[in-house]
Amino acid sequence: MTQHVDEEDVATTADEDTGPTQDPPERPAPTPRLAGAVLAGFTALAVGVSVLGGDFLNPAASTADGDYSGETVEMMIPLAEGGGTDTWARFVGAELTEAVPGSPGLAPVNDDGGEGILGTNHFMSSAKTDGTEVLVSTASTVVPYLLDMPSVRYDFNNLRPVLANGTGAVVYARTGAGVHGVEDLVDRDKPLIFGGIAATSLDLTTMLAFDLLSADIDSTFGFEGRGPVNLALQRGEVDIDYQTTPSYEPAVEPLVEDGTAVPLFSLGQVNEDGEIVRDPNFPDLPTVVEAYEKIYGKQPDPEALETYRAILALTYTYQKALWVPEDTPDEAVELLRSTAEDMGAEPAFQKSAAEVLGGYPLDASPDLADRIGEAYRVDESVRQDVLELLENDYDITIDQG
Amino acid sequence: MTDAAFSALASLADPSLLMMLAVGVVAGLVIGLIPGLGGTGAVAILLPITFGMDPEPALAMLIGALAVVHTSDTVAAVLLGAPGSASASVTMLDGYSMARQGQAKRALSLAFLSSMAGGLIGAVGLTLAIPLARPLVLSFGSPELFMLTILGVSLAAVLSRGNVVKGLTAGLLGLLLGLVGTSPTTAEERFSFGSLFLSDGISLVAVALGVFGLAEIASRVGQRRVSEKPVELSGGWGSGIREWLTHWTHVIRGALIGIWAGVLPGVGATAGTWLAYGQAVATAKDKRSFGKGDPRGIVGPESANNSVEAGDLIPTFLFGIPGGVPSAMLLGMLLTYGIQPGPAIVTDHLDLMYLIVWAFAIASVAGAFLCFLATGSLAKLTKVPFAVLGPGLLVVMLLGAFQEGGQLGDLWVMVTLGVVGFFLKATGMPRAPFLIGFVLAIPMERYYYLTANLYDGAAWLARPGVLVFAAILVVPVLWSLVKRLRRASGAADDGHRDEHESDEHDGDELEGSLARTPWSLGVAVIAALLFAGALWVSGSFSEEARLMPRLVALGGLVVALVLTWQELRARRRGVPRGGDGAVDEPAGSSGATMLATRVEPKVDARALNRRHDLMIGARTFAAMAAFLVLVMVGGYLAATLVFTPLFLLYAARTRPRTAIIYTLVLGAVLLALPSLLPVDLPLGLLQ
Repeated sequence: MTQHVDEEDVATTADEDTGPTQDPPERPAPTPRLAGAVLAGFTALAVGVSVLGGDFLNPAASTADGDYSGETVEMMIPLAEGGGTDTWARFVGAELTEAVPGSPGLAPVNDDGGEGILGTNHFMSSAKTDGTEVLVSTASTVVPYLLDMPSVRYDFNNLRPVLANGTGAVVYARTGAGVHGVEDLVDRDKPLIFGGIAATSLDLTTMLAFDLLSADIDSTFGFEGRGPVNLALQRGEVDIDYQTTPSYEPAVEPLVEDGTAVPLFSLGQVNEDGEIVRDPNFPDLPTVVEAYEKIYGKQPDPEALETYRAILALTYTYQKALWVPEDTPDEAVELLRSTAEDMGAEPAFQKSAAEVLGGYPLDASPDLADRIGEAYRVDESVRQDVLELLENDYDITIDQG
Repeated sequence: MTDAAFSALASLADPSLLMMLAVGVVAGLVIGLIPGLGGTGAVAILLPITFGMDPEPALAMLIGALAVVHTSDTVAAVLLGAPGSASASVTMLDGYSMARQGQAKRALSLAFLSSMAGGLIGAVGLTLAIPLARPLVLSFGSPELFMLTILGVSLAAVLSRGNVVKGLTAGLLGLLLGLVGTSPTTAEERFSFGSLFLSDGISLVAVALGVFGLAEIASRVGQRRVSEKPVELSGGWGSGIREWLTHWTHVIRGALIGIWAGVLPGVGATAGTWLAYGQAVATAKDKRSFGKGDPRGIVGPESANNSVEAGDLIPTFLFGIPGGVPSAMLLGMLLTYGIQPGPAIVTDHLDLMYLIVWAFAIASVAGAFLCFLATGSLAKLTKVPFAVLGPGLLVVMLLGAFQEGGQLGDLWVMVTLGVVGFFLKATGMPRAPFLIGFVLAIPMERYYYLTANLYDGAAWLARPGVLVFAAILVVPVLWSLVKRLRRASGAADDGHRDEHESDEHDGDELEGSLARTPWSLGVAVIAALLFAGALWVSGSFSEEARLMPRLVALGGLVVALVLTWQELRARRRGVPRGGDGAVDEPAGSSGATMLATRVEPKVDARALNRRHDLMIGARTFAAMAAFLVLVMVGGYLAATLVFTPLFLLYAARTRPRTAIIYTLVLGAVLLALPSLLPVDLPLGLLQ
């Protein structure tokens, strides 16, 4: 029945329809000569645009003369617009280019492929070495580098740092889960549930801290971000969480005040001598090392501590940095670095940048390259420790690239 | 509190602040017109300008843009069938149908007025919801969010026109496509086949513009006629407003659902617009015209998709959890002014909060009003033959899709999905559930996994929120079953009527034209094979990463097999009249020709038409692929300069003069665009 009705309907539609043959206003195809002329004209224009235009529009940069005037600095942000790193990079980039002699323009480019890996790979292979292209690094590109994942085709040893800025983090727990201090992390009847994003993200450092403390913790990964974990903790879905310094005040402090949560320890900072010290933003909170001493009454195992220290320096103390390619002229790198150093020392900048920098100084001192270089040259033993932890405790095997 | 509200309003009387708001509104409207840029583009272009400004004018500008982006993105969805976002695809269902019936102006008027009201109600809701937001957000745990994602996909599958089996197949295909990439729970790569590009997942803009936009170009460039019915440009603004006023309850309901959905971080916005559509359908007495240009199908979702933006600001400011990239950038901007998100923002920066509310309200009204004034001229766009619009649209859409990831691969994905969209459309499979499934796949997996891990056993099923959503989910299914049974008892064999009703009504001859041909059988079989393949591939994933792909692939296999069976049964029933050869025909155009030669002349015309459509589609997609090859060689601008005149001269058969001017203008626009908007042109090998 239906079939029949349909065919009739379609047939009537088809009558009004312009089928291929009944298309009245069909204009004949243009004569070959005319079409050829039009096309040849445009092809010539196209070739001109693609071959010559590039050079006309982008003359070679001159940045080694101590003056960036007339240039545009392209900043590769390998993450999506709007995240913490993006905000940081855009702010620092804008302030820096403003301060550099000649006040060059700033063109931030967001390429968030592969959680930051694709953009960084791309920068590594194609960035100009004249000091007009800078790269932003952050935990999401540093951790895969540390784990030597196969997709990583960049090497921070072949890049030169311009400036760095660290952050810190605090581990806190829900009092409703029976946690009132670091002692409650061990010898539990029921393990605490930690909410994480992914084991191969910034969570890694916190997981190493738990491992160092031998805390009784079950991890559930898959959260969208730290904000949702904080909400899940308030709902009682997870018991223990960490927040980085900028989010601590808005997200955790209200919970501490009303007694819902208790701060346990800070992940600490690595100082210039390579020691783990208290976070200047949380002077009253013990570090992981102090927490260990409080629980067990002795120093942690030196080897495990070394692994933790190396990862902490990499993922927190030097977390965000600006880099230029290795072959960038020394004059240009030095100009950018010294400008950043002067800028970081200015009280006006410190005031306006306080929130964005998260309470940690802008590090651009002359020995930055050495310190950051040391932190980024990860010992094979440290890498193996981390890979073992992931494999044994979290059942994650990383293919080595 | 009222003091702060009025002082914020008074501060907006400051001409410089109003100026900034106006700049934001205009920028938002212009960017919204270009499918694919959306709110991210609007905020990205304005953000650098705000550096160095005081927070108030900067906020006024950004909010102005955010409030109106979803007003003007309706234009491409309604007029061209190219939604740039998942939520615009809802408005498209009825809006595009209405526009194709020559009532573009009516559709746009309704949409703009609803946007305005949605924005206004959203602004009021934003104020009222601040004290309620915390308990609301905290009461929505992982189980509720999981149910919400299920609800979003199922509503889309059930409510899109076409039969439910087709809807479910499309939804599950979308879910499967959404699972391509890195697993949210174990960070392992799935269905990426070793490609780093795929490991990132597929770009939403490429999916939305490919499945809808490119498919639309391919199916319509063949039609050199202007429109199926003469465009009605008559009727003053007064009649538009009057008609809209009769749907005021839908406007308010849509807006409320929008606010509520926007408040829920993560999944709200997409599911919310579908819920708004769903409630409009569910509460309507006469449901037949939905999907074919029913005004109620435009009013509700359109009002919701603007109020969602307002709702979204609540978790952004109160918890620092933005619902999308635009609000994330807004958050970043606040941070550079030293304003921390968090519950304290309401006490510490109440004046700014009210400024936001007022700015949102004023921008919504102004933006919608500007659009409303322009409906007449916008609607004239439907008078331009698609063949002429085609190359320009193609260039703009591909450029829009390129902006998200900056990868040429996205453009190839988009063209491939254009082919998929073409066949889905031609075989009468609804494409909206496909898109919604794609968007919600990862949130669905995330919250399912978290629910399973954080709750003991099945206790979460008894949570009140979960029960409510389950009820919403089950009732429409039961309702459609009842309807089907009742109908089955009345007329025995019209199981497939729904798709066929639609293609007569909206005058779109491609929609469903390949239904019940070897082609639609082929689509069903390919879908089944895809699901089977996915099931097989997922065997190599770790246990946790395997869970969701398995469920989707198994479910998909079942519905695709049911669909295949339905197709076979329909064909067998068709055999006596269609000639014995039909069943054994291979799925190809030769099949259609042979079929055509054997049967009566009516079918002949139909088959010829079908073949014509397929040929045009194939040619257009080949042209698109050729364009991409040109882009890879010579860069975007050069490729456009070569491709456009070729297409215009040979495919659209325009006069040479038109082709030359058209190409020059398009080239000039492309040359100027990067300096005006945050747009990058793809570079070729020669550059």
